[in-house]
Amino acid sequence: MRDRIEDIALAGPGILLLALAFVLPLVEMLRLSIVGADGGVTAEHFVRFLSDPYYLGVVWRTIYLSLLITIICAAVGFPLAYVMARVSPQMRLWLIVLIILPLMTSVVVRTFGWMVVLGRGGLIPFSLWKLGFVGRNFTLMHTEAAIVIGMVQVLLPFTALSILGVVMKIDRRLEEAARTMGASFLATLRSVVLPLAMPGILAGSLLAFTLSVSSFVTPSLLGGVRLPVVASSIYDAATKTLEWNFAAAQSVILLIGVLLALTPYIRLSGRRHG
Amino acid sequence: MATLDLTEIVKSFGSTQVLHGISLAIESGQFVSLLGPSGCGKTTLLRIIAGLEGVTRGSVHIDGRDVTGLPPESRDIAMMFQSYALLPHMSVRENIRFPLRMRRRGTRAEQDDRVQAALETVQLGHLADRMPRQLSGGQQQRVALARAIVSDPKILLLDEPLSNLDARLREDMQVELIELHRRLGLTTVFVTHDQEEALSLSDVVVLMNSGRIEQVGDPQTIYASPHTGFASEFLGSANLVPVKVIEGASGPQAQLPNGETIAVAVGTKPHGETHLVLRQEDLKLFPAKPGMSGDFLATVETRVFLGARIRYVLRMGDLRLKCLAPASDDFSAGERVTVRLPEGGAQVIST
Repeated sequence: MRDRIEDIALAGPGILLLALAFVLPLVEMLRLSIVGADGGVTAEHFVRFLSDPYYLGVVWRTIYLSLLITIICAAVGFPLAYVMARVSPQMRLWLIVLIILPLMTSVVVRTFGWMVVLGRGGLIPFSLWKLGFVGRNFTLMHTEAAIVIGMVQVLLPFTALSILGVVMKIDRRLEEAARTMGASFLATLRSVVLPLAMPGILAGSLLAFTLSVSSFVTPSLLGGVRLPVVASSIYDAATKTLEWNFAAAQSVILLIGVLLALTPYIRLSGRRHG
Repeated sequence: MATLDLTEIVKSFGSTQVLHGISLAIESGQFVSLLGPSGCGKTTLLRIIAGLEGVTRGSVHIDGRDVTGLPPESRDIAMMFQSYALLPHMSVRENIRFPLRMRRRGTRAEQDDRVQAALETVQLGHLADRMPRQLSGGQQQRVALARAIVSDPKILLLDEPLSNLDARLREDMQVELIELHRRLGLTTVFVTHDQEEALSLSDVVVLMNSGRIEQVGDPQTIYASPHTGFASEFLGSANLVPVKVIEGASGPQAQLPNGETIAVAVGTKPHGETHLVLRQEDLKLFPAKPGMSGDFLATVETRVFLGARIRYVLRMGDLRLKCLAPASDDFSAGERVTVRLPEGGAQVIST
């Protein structure tokens, strides 16, 4: 058995780092968000954000794009994770490498790649035009579709790998048993694998959702200035208009939104364990 | 209830051939055991019958219908797994309803009735709304059994279903399986490595070794007259003593390595390499008293107390013999004993 002092000594560096790099900035952000122009305490930044239809539009876009991205990631990630869990270990290793490889390049580089593919004369619009599906050479850049495509590509590995971890633990004999009981392959997938993989799907979706509501680089590069999301609005307030207090207030709202999204999941997984 | 016919089944995994042409015809309503040591291919054969593995060559017919290429869900079978494979996210009742739901048998109310009847068959009515993880091993096993019989399958497949139970529960379940089989008359294929279990439960024992069938027969026959050395060793863990068969004055005799001879069953022909089969429980031990015919002197090398019986390892010159004696015949290690061989002539097999 370890001593309490040894425990503290072991955890010390990590706790210190968290305190300096996470808790302190967070407290500073909370303080800034309620400081007015005169230095007194005020709620004016929150009122300004929540009463302006422009900012409410930004929030709404952020939420529904994130939901769409999350749903696509889960819908694509679950079958992918299932196949990865059921192939030979060697094949699985290759698939994992294939999925992780894009994560090795910077998000900025990958996003510029999408700009080339999606822009006017890029691979997708050009091919669609030449094949006669659309009447003219067009661009997919600065559309919500571009944001969704780019974000799904960034977040799919996280979702697929969190689901993979859970599917790997599902006893294969349960599927075999279901087959001997008259369930077809698809019925087995639906009534046995899907319910048992649900904790992984929830965890992966949550990861995808929280990462996409707070993501900045991909939406601002692929969506452009006409399609701002909350993160780019914070960036503008902090760097262009230099309204730090307003930027802090928006950050607090984003933080509360993410925490609200986390709550039902924590409840759900708590019930599963208890 | 249905017949099951396996024809020339060959199965290879990559370059390893695990089944070398298995043919077997099972009559309607029979309880058949596939018996053999681990790795003999008995579980693979069961999985082929279930449709969980394909065949490399050969065919499977259930009730005269060729099901070789059909997936498991189209075969109208039920299988009980060694690990029970209860669906952990469903209650006991939902687990038992699952095959009815998947096969779309009857209305919701009819399904309820059948689930209830199956629950009562295995005496688990009071646990219907528990989750599988809240049940003991024995209870989980009963749920698995109820789930297997609820859809009234043509063939019931059991993959070592009793091996995870403790000794007392296993005996209870054996009795219940026999009674259940008598009542429902389901054609049943039972995989086991336990020879006592196979002999006590089945109508027919199929003894398998290294991907081949060694011997098929009813339990009495297969126990009393094993055809091969493997069969006699595996079934009774018998002693195999290399002997030479010679014609004696009063009939055929087997000559032991030390030169002594004993009478063997009439009709035994002297041919090739032969072994004398001495079943452990057929050897009788007495305090050493030399000079009686048909008796041999031996030394007790090891004594293992088993409760009702004692297992001895005896040494007779170069020979070592295993012997299972009643606890009343108590000898200590190192003691000299007289061994009496079975009357009516011991069996000799050629290997």
